Amino acid sequence: MSVLAKYRQVFLTGLQTNLVYRWNFAIRAAFSLLHLVYVFTLWGAAYAGKTDIGGFALGATLTYFTLLLVLQFFLSAANDDYEISEEIRNGLINQFLTKPINYLGYRLSLFFSARLVAGSLALLPVLAALPLLGKYLVFPGTEHLPLYLVAIPALLLAAFIQFIIAYCFGLLTFWFLEIQSFIILSLAVESVLGGQIFPLDLMPGWLYELSRWLPYYYQMYFPAALLTGRITDLGFALQGLAIQTGWAIALLFLAQALWKRGLRRHTAVGG
Amino acid sequence: MPATFARYARIWLASIRYSLVRAMMFRGDFLMWALVEFFWMSVNVLLVGIIYGHTDSIAGWSKYEMLLLVGSTLLVQRLLMAFFWSNLFELGRNVRSGHFDFFLAQPGAPLFMISTRKFDLDGLVNVPVALAVVVYAAHQLQLHPSLGQIAAYALFIVCGLALHYATLLTIISLVFWLQSAKGIEGGYFGLTEFSRLPRESLRGITAVLFVYALPVVIVSNVPARVLIHGFEPVYAAWLLAATVFWVAVALTVFHSGLRRYSSASS
Repeated sequence: MSVLAKYRQVFLTGLQTNLVYRWNFAIRAAFSLLHLVYVFTLWGAAYAGKTDIGGFALGATLTYFTLLLVLQFFLSAANDDYEISEEIRNGLINQFLTKPINYLGYRLSLFFSARLVAGSLALLPVLAALPLLGKYLVFPGTEHLPLYLVAIPALLLAAFIQFIIAYCFGLLTFWFLEIQSFIILSLAVESVLGGQIFPLDLMPGWLYELSRWLPYYYQMYFPAALLTGRITDLGFALQGLAIQTGWAIALLFLAQALWKRGLRRHTAVGG
Repeated sequence: MPATFARYARIWLASIRYSLVRAMMFRGDFLMWALVEFFWMSVNVLLVGIIYGHTDSIAGWSKYEMLLLVGSTLLVQRLLMAFFWSNLFELGRNVRSGHFDFFLAQPGAPLFMISTRKFDLDGLVNVPVALAVVVYAAHQLQLHPSLGQIAAYALFIVCGLALHYATLLTIISLVFWLQSAKGIEGGYFGLTEFSRLPRESLRGITAVLFVYALPVVIVSNVPARVLIHGFEPVYAAWLLAATVFWVAVALTVFHSGLRRYSSASS
């Protein structure tokens, strides 16, 4: 079996597994529309009597949050950290130590399959709500094309960074019995510095500049800002893509180091 | 009746004592969770700061009025986290795994037994932080509430806790009909976000839905208003009636689900 065929099979199995929970994904996606209603109400009230906030009109801000909602389902590592933790605790990773399959490759294949199912199902309620949402959504025109092109690798790298951070947190199980609190804390940091609570460009300048050097910026805000016209300078975008690539590589090295060191602590028991 | 009440109170106290001992056994974990909750609270306060850095008013509410509203929401949520969140969250998992049988076999009302088994100290230690946000906002607004206003505020916070409990119980009880509870707790978070909005910001269909049909906005707005504007009988009656109604709905949904439940264990 070729290397790619192995992971393709894992991907297909992952699709089937995730489709079992299609109703749960769909319910979650439908609930997330509630968040959108909240965001529209809050920002709509904040914009009352104003044409722009932080240099962006109401439509631009609402477009940003709507896109973010869809991207969350396509890019966020929803459960991977917990599953990895569970596999380490239950000794399920033992089988990967004796078989010619790379655990990171296996988990990455599962991650992409889960994102494909979750993202596709999340699109359904958003599409259903499009007649209501449509009038608020404003995307940049063709003059923005180079930025849209930068967004393609930025989206892939964002998904990879999301995954690899979740993977690293899952591997902490080699050292800690319970990792849920680490994950929730990281989620809180990601939510703020990833731009999910408010667009990062509304923060004070120095804080925004600082956030650009952290990986969270590239998990969600960066691709969303590229697609919604919050970043318009090509040079700035390319610099961001370079930093994002750097973080992806650095986190991959960190994950490999954690795996190697973790395995040294791991004890496989059973026949 | 008083004997039954005293018995349940003893069971609850025993569960709290057990949870405290357990929290002290895993002190690092407790500190980490307390930090997590504190951080999430800070995120909410930060959002107010960021938005009001660019505007002076949201639906007629000034920065510190909004902070008082958010603080009141945080206060109710911390109380929910301390007393009920873990218990109800685990209900979803337990029904799926069949572990729910354990609660049915206990000598007490099933809903009481599942709701009070765990107590989260990390939620409770953040209650003073939420209170501090409320006090700070009231101080900035130069409010001097009377004892009656403070008593009404406390009563409304308890109503809010009951309403949050009812909302969460109704949502989690859907697990009796669904294959898995995975993701449905998101409904609770989706709905409770509205409690951080001033009532005046909702218009049209959203006002009908989230102000009048569901109690998610009045749950925080009524306590905040009593400190800002004084006692308003209409709002007080509205919140009390909503509390009674929604607790009754939650109990009905839970007991309907309970009748559907068939043991999953061997």
